[in-house]
Amino acid sequence: MRIIERDTLIGKRIPKMDAPEKASGKTRYIHDIDVPGQLWGKILRSSRVHARIKRIDVSKAKALPGVHVVITAADVPDQRPIGINKDHPALKGDKVRCIRDEIAAVAADSEAIAEAALKLIDVEYEDLPIVVDPEASLAAGAPVINEKHADNVAMRFDYSHGDVAQGEAESDVVIEDSFKLHYVTHCCMGVSGVIADFDASGNLLLHSNTQVPFLHKREFADILGMDPGRIRIVQPPIGGGFGSKLDIYPFEVIAVYLARAATRPVKLVYTRDEEFLASPTRQPVILKLRSGCKKDGTLMFRSVETLHDNGAYTSWGATTPFVMMQTFSSLYRVPHCKYHTTVAYTNNPYAGSFRGYGNLQATFAVDSHMDKLAEAIGMDPLAFRLKNAQGPGEVTGQGMVFKSCGFRDCLTIAAERSGFLAKHREYRAAQRAPGAVKRGVGMASMLHVGGGAKIYPSDGCGTILKIDDFAHVTLMTGASEIGQGSETVLAQLVCEELGLPISAVTVVNNDTDITPWDVGVHASRTTFIAGNSAIGAARKAKAKILAAAARKTGITEGELDLVGGFVVRAASGEAIVELAKLVRGLHFSDKAELVMTTFYYEPPSVHQDKGFKGDVSAAYAWATQVVEVEVDCDTGIVKMTKVTGAHDVGRVINRLGIEGQIEGGVVMGQGYALTENLLIEDGRVRNPSFRDYKLVTAPEIPEMDLAFIETMDGEGPQGAKGVGEAPAICIAAATANAIYNATGVRIYELPFTPEKVYRALRGVAPPVAWHAAAPS
Amino acid sequence: MSHSVEIEFRLNGVVRRAAVPAAMSALVMLRDVLGLTGTKYGCGEGECGACTILVDGASVNSCLMFAVDCDGREVTTIEGLAADALAERLRRAFAEHGAVQCGFCTPGMVIQASRILAQHPHPDRATIQRGLEGNLCRCTGYKKIIDAVAAAAEQS
Amino acid sequence: MGAVERYAAPLSLAEALDLLRAGDVTIVAGGTDLMPQSHSGKVRFGSLLMNIRRVPELGGIALEGDTVRIGALTSITDLLESRLVRERLPIVAEAADHFASEQVRNGATVGGNVCNASPAGDMLVPLIVLDAAVELAAKPNGAVETRSMPLREFLTGPGRTQRAPHELLTAVRVPLPPPGFVARFYKHGTRPALDISTISIGIGGVKRGDKLENVHVVFGAVAPTPIRARATERVLEGRPLDAAVIEAAAEAAHDEGRPISDVRASAWYRQELVRNMTKRILAHVAFG
Repeated sequence: MRIIERDTLIGKRIPKMDAPEKASGKTRYIHDIDVPGQLWGKILRSSRVHARIKRIDVSKAKALPGVHVVITAADVPDQRPIGINKDHPALKGDKVRCIRDEIAAVAADSEAIAEAALKLIDVEYEDLPIVVDPEASLAAGAPVINEKHADNVAMRFDYSHGDVAQGEAESDVVIEDSFKLHYVTHCCMGVSGVIADFDASGNLLLHSNTQVPFLHKREFADILGMDPGRIRIVQPPIGGGFGSKLDIYPFEVIAVYLARAATRPVKLVYTRDEEFLASPTRQPVILKLRSGCKKDGTLMFRSVETLHDNGAYTSWGATTPFVMMQTFSSLYRVPHCKYHTTVAYTNNPYAGSFRGYGNLQATFAVDSHMDKLAEAIGMDPLAFRLKNAQGPGEVTGQGMVFKSCGFRDCLTIAAERSGFLAKHREYRAAQRAPGAVKRGVGMASMLHVGGGAKIYPSDGCGTILKIDDFAHVTLMTGASEIGQGSETVLAQLVCEELGLPISAVTVVNNDTDITPWDVGVHASRTTFIAGNSAIGAARKAKAKILAAAARKTGITEGELDLVGGFVVRAASGEAIVELAKLVRGLHFSDKAELVMTTFYYEPPSVHQDKGFKGDVSAAYAWATQVVEVEVDCDTGIVKMTKVTGAHDVGRVINRLGIEGQIEGGVVMGQGYALTENLLIEDGRVRNPSFRDYKLVTAPEIPEMDLAFIETMDGEGPQGAKGVGEAPAICIAAATANAIYNATGVRIYELPFTPEKVYRALRGVAPPVAWHAAAPS
Repeated sequence: MSHSVEIEFRLNGVVRRAAVPAAMSALVMLRDVLGLTGTKYGCGEGECGACTILVDGASVNSCLMFAVDCDGREVTTIEGLAADALAERLRRAFAEHGAVQCGFCTPGMVIQASRILAQHPHPDRATIQRGLEGNLCRCTGYKKIIDAVAAAAEQS
Repeated sequence: MGAVERYAAPLSLAEALDLLRAGDVTIVAGGTDLMPQSHSGKVRFGSLLMNIRRVPELGGIALEGDTVRIGALTSITDLLESRLVRERLPIVAEAADHFASEQVRNGATVGGNVCNASPAGDMLVPLIVLDAAVELAAKPNGAVETRSMPLREFLTGPGRTQRAPHELLTAVRVPLPPPGFVARFYKHGTRPALDISTISIGIGGVKRGDKLENVHVVFGAVAPTPIRARATERVLEGRPLDAAVIEAAAEAAHDEGRPISDVRASAWYRQELVRNMTKRILAHVAFG
């Protein structure tokens, strides 16, 4: 009798399935793909921030040898605007509204020829007054940016629960501050690109880096006036996403227009400076926060007003208030909360979605205030947070239901592991001690959707699973992979059900003609939603297999299980039949059956009502991060020395993968807090290169100590919750608190670059825009 | 177009000839003329390291090097590192230690890591971090890349 | 970008100088500055692209009497790996360690960094502290002629030097510092090396007891070229390095440069840094 040992892959360190290919340089990204007959597309962008286009002359460009087509808005009279406000024509015909605006495009035999052709296009502009400050944009008489929005308001949001006036009346301490959040951008290592290819029948194949292929397919059909059934999207391996590929952008539409006009495939890939100029940003926000609490530490109210710089067009950045309000209303228990947002058009580059989706901005303000309130009532920062932390089973004023919630554990474990309280006291006492370098410690926490986000009519994901006659599984999932490791997690979850090793699974996840529908990779949803979907399909396959085994062996299905590639007796592990043999037998029997299943998972979350109330996610993720810094008061340089993170992730599925997500997010948060700053002055990007847009490099990373709180969410796949966005969210807030702990100076504006910190320490106002400062 | 120059060099152990415009970068030559796409374009100005190759054993940003300057030299790209025992250790360590996410920076990282280990067979973490300063990664936060290089060193 | 009509990789100095004399030449060594500058349009290629990497006379680091001759093609990595440089010119090695990234250090040359003449050029500050001179060669009348001039005079502005179009910078010559010489280099940035200096400071002098003599103070990125900080030097020269002198030197340093405001820092902040870090370096020299 052969006993098969039961083993599990859950919680193990499973190498990412595509890592060997990537590490040997064999992976072909969009940049590495050439299709036969392809032309190169290039886009001419505006040289003006806000101007009427009086004339475009493309005749010289068209005459250049090797140029196939040159198009302007006049050549695509059928173009329909893109974006969530439908305010954005891919090719601008009448006027330009920001520096990145696309006004003409070329398809040529080579990139160099296309580039040369752009230089031959002659454009005459008539400058218009610009408005680059959202406050000025809302003032009476401000230049109108988008004619359909004469008040320059792209969106407004109003939310409230309780009665903030009453909350304020009952508060012993009330504070109010203004916070200012800056522009950052995704900086995916692989620049943006697309290949548009029509076949002879007019079907469109897009090689696209999108994070949302099924939504894109539908939207492209709308924009192009095509039958969606004639559009196929294939995603090559993607060189980073982080939310940047959640919307359709003009370059993608333009590539399609070029391919249509040239009747040839067109490849269009950005340069790095183009990536800085013309890919989306995280939304800059001016945030006014008023909070109050009682002397005993009870948080009473929070009143928030935010003004968002939308830029010239509306992409997902405009809707980040959806997420921000969750943090205002529900991260800490707050009986009275009011939130008003205006999203204003300006002539700046426009904001899209970026990992955290508004939550970094909201958390920066909220957890800065948690520190200030604690200090004002003489309570330690940890005790104050613990007193107001949400717990399991709570329903918040916004209607979010916290079925699993490890927030208090996050707080206490992060504090204990980092020695937070002792350090906090010690560093505060040492603020006036001699020496230019001060140490500080700060904490911040976050709440984020961890079980999908019901924004679209469905928040689901489909799976097709087939088992071949050698018991090799092909998992066809709607879920997109952008480097986060979803394919490995999904394979693990399937293996867990079917008792197979990870090598027994192939994941297909990048072709809308093959894979079933999915919303896309956003909102930290893939492990949760696609994971549940994969499990559903695997369980159906398992039931089918066990039923067949029961028929064959006469042992009831309930007594059987799948372990280690065998059908076994569940109780003893005794091998009954090899799985491969069983499925082969099934296939080549009289009934000739294949094991193939499908499953569609729809989470039990609900849509918000008109007042933004409702339980929008099936689960919520929590985290507390403690940041330790050294502040050099002679230079303003803040060195992040250590981050201790405690994350309620539901359950760890792939320990290697989840550590990688958290570490990567922490360092992205470090960049947001300390080094990254897309400088935009008078609508122009001043630092479109890695030379002056500073990502964190290997020598700068902090020591990282991570703890995972496993709350075993009842709805989550194997208990897991989403975690993709969580780690980046609290770093800036915790850093602000750490700098305050080190120096006694609180800074309300990001990022904490050396000069900004130095000025804050010296109480010196920030400089005027650099180009306006006359060299002395 | 720039004047075209005939060059001959050893590419991944094999003598190659190529005709390249004088102003072309080694990166463009490798990718567009010779079809070796493992070397990545990340910035074109030597700030990101995605295009790192070895020239006579030293790592350089191929985007900053003139293709014509490859003439007579020994050039190794990620594709050529394949046969090497150190490279095999590195590739395996990168996978096993979770150093790969989107993977776009990975070929440059592996090449630079091979240079670090050639210069310092038993580097401490600080040496690895300094060695990787010119290679940007947006996904991993570097820790697992540093772990992978340290692990590959320990196996030597 | 101009069109390159010809490419040459001369195998001797004489050949290189002949080509230069013909005119309209773009010289390439490491390419690490030239390539991005040509992409951005900052540099227009001449009709001849001359790669000087195969000119043997331009390589090598050698002690010639009491002078270290650093060939123009010496890479920044070569400086770091040279025992002669590390032991006898440690401030040069220190600055080399703060230079860009390893990939750039492997490609970039000393001659290129000098001829590129960036106000923030990393190697310029320590070389000026050491009174380095540049060696220039030309072949005006059929014979190779060389001349030499102090590096600080050679640099005339951002991207501008006294090199004539027909001349090639062949080497940097650094006199060996006298016994008792101490020097420190500081580059401001949040990263160890991969930063364009906001400011950089080099301070050197002969330490006798608690005094510094023959003081050289050099600031980078506070003026069109790296500058000798004469007022600061006067405060320090021959006086005991006590708290009052250090304070006075730091105040003098603050007003020494005329920095610009740009994307990296304001002029005000650069001046603050110069003062604060001059003070810190002097405290290290005095007490550390």
